[in-house]
Amino acid sequence: MNSKKKHAVSVIARVIYVIALLVIWECVARSGILGPRSSLIFPSLEQIGEAFIKNFIKGYAGTSLWIYIANSMKLLLTGLVIGILLAFILSGLSMVSFIFFKIYDLTVSVFDLLPGIALLPVVIIIFGVREEVIVFLVVHAVLWPMSRNMLDGFNATPRIYVEAGKNMGLKGAGLIFGVYLPAAASYIVSGLKSGWARAWRGLISAEMIFGIASSPGIGLFINQMRTNMNNAEMYATLLVIIIIGVIVQYGILRPIEVNTVRKWGMTK
Amino acid sequence: MSKEALLQIRDLTKIYTDDSGEKTVLKDLDLDVEKSEFLCILGPSGCGKSTLLRCIAGFEEYSGSVSVDGTQRREPGIDRFMVFQDFNQLFPWKTVINNVAYPLSLNIKAPKAEIKERALEALNKVGLSGCKDQYPHQLSGGMKQRVAIAKALALRSPIILMDEPFAALDAMTRSGLQKEMLSISESEKNTIIFITHNIQEAIILGTRILVFGQQGHILFDEKNPMQRPVTPASEGYGELWEELHHALYEGSLPAKTSK
Ligand SMILES: Nc1ncnc2c1ncn2[C@@H]1O[C@H](COP(=O)(O)OP(=O)(O)OP(=O)(O)O)[C@@H](O)[C@H]1O
Ligand SMILES: [Mg+2]
Repeated sequence: MNSKKKHAVSVIARVIYVIALLVIWECVARSGILGPRSSLIFPSLEQIGEAFIKNFIKGYAGTSLWIYIANSMKLLLTGLVIGILLAFILSGLSMVSFIFFKIYDLTVSVFDLLPGIALLPVVIIIFGVREEVIVFLVVHAVLWPMSRNMLDGFNATPRIYVEAGKNMGLKGAGLIFGVYLPAAASYIVSGLKSGWARAWRGLISAEMIFGIASSPGIGLFINQMRTNMNNAEMYATLLVIIIIGVIVQYGILRPIEVNTVRKWGMTK
Repeated sequence: MSKEALLQIRDLTKIYTDDSGEKTVLKDLDLDVEKSEFLCILGPSGCGKSTLLRCIAGFEEYSGSVSVDGTQRREPGIDRFMVFQDFNQLFPWKTVINNVAYPLSLNIKAPKAEIKERALEALNKVGLSGCKDQYPHQLSGGMKQRVAIAKALALRSPIILMDEPFAALDAMTRSGLQKEMLSISESEKNTIIFITHNIQEAIILGTRILVFGQQGHILFDEKNPMQRPVTPASEGYGELWEELHHALYEGSLPAKTSK
């Protein structure tokens, strides 16, 4: 009962907080206290709302925002799948060979520190201005944090699980799939979370820096709005980015967490 | 010894090497355990009881030999199944029934339904079939230990190794589990090697009792003369308790008074 009440209070507090922010925004927008640039920095909520709808109906250059979103999502998904698979394979191999583990551990530590954007010039030289560049950056964004978490998770597997596994006849790959992977579940989930967050940000940044004519994405859309001083549309697109992020967070990642580590009582 | 024992340990020597140097934990240990025996091992802390079980289970490297039914065993296998003292030996990502069924499915080729059936039967024997769909984190310590025992029963492991499985339980749960172990050892054919610090537990459960000194030196090794079920009021309990206590604490046996 008490925790329910606490929950209700926290929800109300957050709703009030958001409404207050919107009210302040609208007041600033209407007062025009920032002078001539005021309407650029603070377009009214009404304008942003209209722009939000316009983005989807009219879009830019005759193309709806939906198409831009779809393009981004396609590249993002490709990169995520490749990155996550690679993380599973390479981290799994690290459990088989100690030498491989040492080498991969070093690789992960080094590349985890490199922002994808900093690699952009090199990657463009290699691939040219093509979709592969974006996919590469997404893979880069997700592979290292995911691998770091998996390696840590494997190494933190309690010895008793490993021995229990061996006692029931598990060896080699069986031990990895039957014991190490599930035992590292909470690490893998947090790897997914940070990998996704980095990939999503990396994707938008890369798209803003260079647009690919053959498959323009959300980042390019924002940039176009900026160059054309369509600031209401730009804010509306930022909103879309936040909404997609929230959907992934609560529609995909959260259910994964609830149905695995939480159900198993394994959250730290 | 006329017949070959089920478990034969010969010249078992275990040396741990760490920063501080070498440490001989077990030295030239010979031990035979007969089929269906309930062997209780007592011994001071650090004398190598856990190490012996881990060697038998195949978790450690050692010199000497461990044979089951005349065949040497160095690797872990389900013919020697370990029940650990640690409650967290169940896989938290599997339900209770799946914790019991999983080792089965790895080792026998049978339809899923049959495996579930056998797992459920084992859970029944430890009185936990009602919790089959719960996850380990929803169980108490005593219940977790029961599930761990059910795993061994379902596998029909000829040898069950138990390293102080009830040591961390409260007295009431502990005596409940002792009763269960008694009835299991009476109805099943498993051979059980059971380590404990508790003299009473050894007398109640064991059909044979061993007391270890340092380096796995055997100070006492006798069949339990008492008729089951044993209570502290049973005839001869006091004498046996004294004898074991003395062996445990003085490291030697009292001079036996000849009759
Ligand atoms: N991995 C290890 N490395 C080095 N020494 C170890 C290791 N494991 C155990 N030992 C040492 O071996 C000796 C025997 O340990 P063991 O755990 O077998 O004792 P035990 O008889 O089970 O004691 P207890 O009754 O306290 O459980 C101890 O002195 C311990 O310090
Ligand atoms: Mg021990």
